Amino acid sequence: MSLAAPRSRPVTTRTVLLVAAALVLAAISLRALDPQRVAWIRSYIVIFGSLLVQALPFVTLGALAAALVEVFVPIGTLERLGRLPRPLQLPAAALAGLAFPICECGSVPVARRLAQRGLKPSAAVTFMLAAPVVNPVVIASTFVAYRARPSTWTMVGGRFALGMLVAIAVGWVIGNRSVDELLKPNPEDVHERHLPVERPEARWRRFFSHLGNDFLFMGRYLILGVTIAAAIQTFLPASALTSVAGVPVVSIVVMMVLAAALSLCSESDAFVAASFVQFGPAAQLAFLVSGPMVDTKLLTLYAGTFRRGFVRAVVAVVFVTTLVSTLWLGVITG
Amino acid sequence: MSETVVEHGGIGVRSAHSTRQRWSAVRVAGAVVLGAWAAAFWFLLVTGRDALYLSTRTEWVVPVAAVLLSAATLGRLASARSSHPEPLGRRELGVVVAMIVPVLVLTALPATTLGSYSAGTRAPVSGSRFSATPGDVATGELSLVDVAAAQTTPEAERALAGRAGETVTFVGFVARYGSTLADEFMLTRYVVSCCVADATVASVRVVNVTPGRFDENDWVEVTGTIYPIGREVIVDATSVGAVPRPDRPYLSA
Repeated sequence: MSLAAPRSRPVTTRTVLLVAAALVLAAISLRALDPQRVAWIRSYIVIFGSLLVQALPFVTLGALAAALVEVFVPIGTLERLGRLPRPLQLPAAALAGLAFPICECGSVPVARRLAQRGLKPSAAVTFMLAAPVVNPVVIASTFVAYRARPSTWTMVGGRFALGMLVAIAVGWVIGNRSVDELLKPNPEDVHERHLPVERPEARWRRFFSHLGNDFLFMGRYLILGVTIAAAIQTFLPASALTSVAGVPVVSIVVMMVLAAALSLCSESDAFVAASFVQFGPAAQLAFLVSGPMVDTKLLTLYAGTFRRGFVRAVVAVVFVTTLVSTLWLGVITG
Repeated sequence: MSETVVEHGGIGVRSAHSTRQRWSAVRVAGAVVLGAWAAAFWFLLVTGRDALYLSTRTEWVVPVAAVLLSAATLGRLASARSSHPEPLGRRELGVVVAMIVPVLVLTALPATTLGSYSAGTRAPVSGSRFSATPGDVATGELSLVDVAAAQTTPEAERALAGRAGETVTFVGFVARYGSTLADEFMLTRYVVSCCVADATVASVRVVNVTPGRFDENDWVEVTGTIYPIGREVIVDATSVGAVPRPDRPYLSA
């Protein structure tokens, strides 16, 4: 299990048994009292459960891919990608997302491991942000969501192009920061790398160790993010924001904030964006580009994975670049 | 856990420079979390509760997660013995609890669906999310998906208007708002693309209903005559009966 250093005081067997008994009691109480009889609790629990049931498998897949990278990709392999001419590195990393049809939750552990295995941090971050936007499944779902509208190709092409642009912009801002400047230390990894092993640990043991570590590391932040996102989804009426739909800049900002609050999967968010017919294509595009890069559940994942300055930089660059580029698009497309 | 060493009041505290393989309490605790989530996904799969959270398009993630997490649990357990076992600290125990509580919420609570409370806060459906075309709406048996799609595009709206006076049968749950009259209710279904978090609302106004017969969130089958009036669709009920909640309570886009 991965933890924030330093390790906390050991607990006794009695404490563990008491906690286990409390969990069993909590389960029995939940069943007997059924708090879902209260309407808002029912909505909250269903939305909370659905976000988790959908996102956690992708975190697992991401942890699986990350463990494969950690165990089977030799150190130095990814460093060779860094020898590409700099103007090509970040676009190449962003385009790599085409080969990874995974949601945003899965791309975080993969990017973390890629950076740890020698890929330039700026390229790893560019990949992490671009993959959930430019992958084929998301392109297809965006096309389906907008296929009956005059703005079909504006939305599909615009999402792809702006997704690439914003991800590359963040990578550019990250620049030459080192892995240590980017990632928070994961004490479990540090602990395992410094064990005084008598003989090398078998690959399969290392694989499962890293798979479990990444799942547990990401899972708890995902749960925190989903807890907040479900509350927002339960209490925020969709109609609350429509009064500003016609105001050019404000409507784009509102849609970006809404995307961050709702924390939708990038494979389904186009259908929700398309339902906000009061908002123009520029505002809807802002929703589609910024949502898979900055949302409530992702922010908790980022906060657990990256250093604070990085999270601030991602939020600022994603918001500013998306705002400016969608405003330009709005001007060009009328 | 039989070989877990307890020293100084802690679980799995090891002596320095030990080379003997012992259970690492931290790794075992991690396996417990992985196992709990694996069990939760198997539970969702076996009981069919995955349909309460996901659309048909994304339900594949449940068996995938169940298998992957089961394998991860076994692998974690198989590698849980270490010559340098780590003790379980308060913080780690807190993480274990935080990650197991959602499993309890998913498995211990009675099965339920998104109800009428959320119908008032969610956006109506977008016509473009449906495969139903104006041609589909104009012919064949009308479904609630057709009606929802017709409420959002002018062509489909006109096609539905041409079906006025026909008899329809829809299944949904009862929703009422402040302006809903006593002998009416909104027959509602959620339309889901991936999971319930992206649900949008499809509904028709059912009139000529016996007041007080049905409560909010009751599942009913309504048969009656359809009258599309602009973007609103009214069904003049000839029969309304209670039905069990469908196995798939959400419509898939």
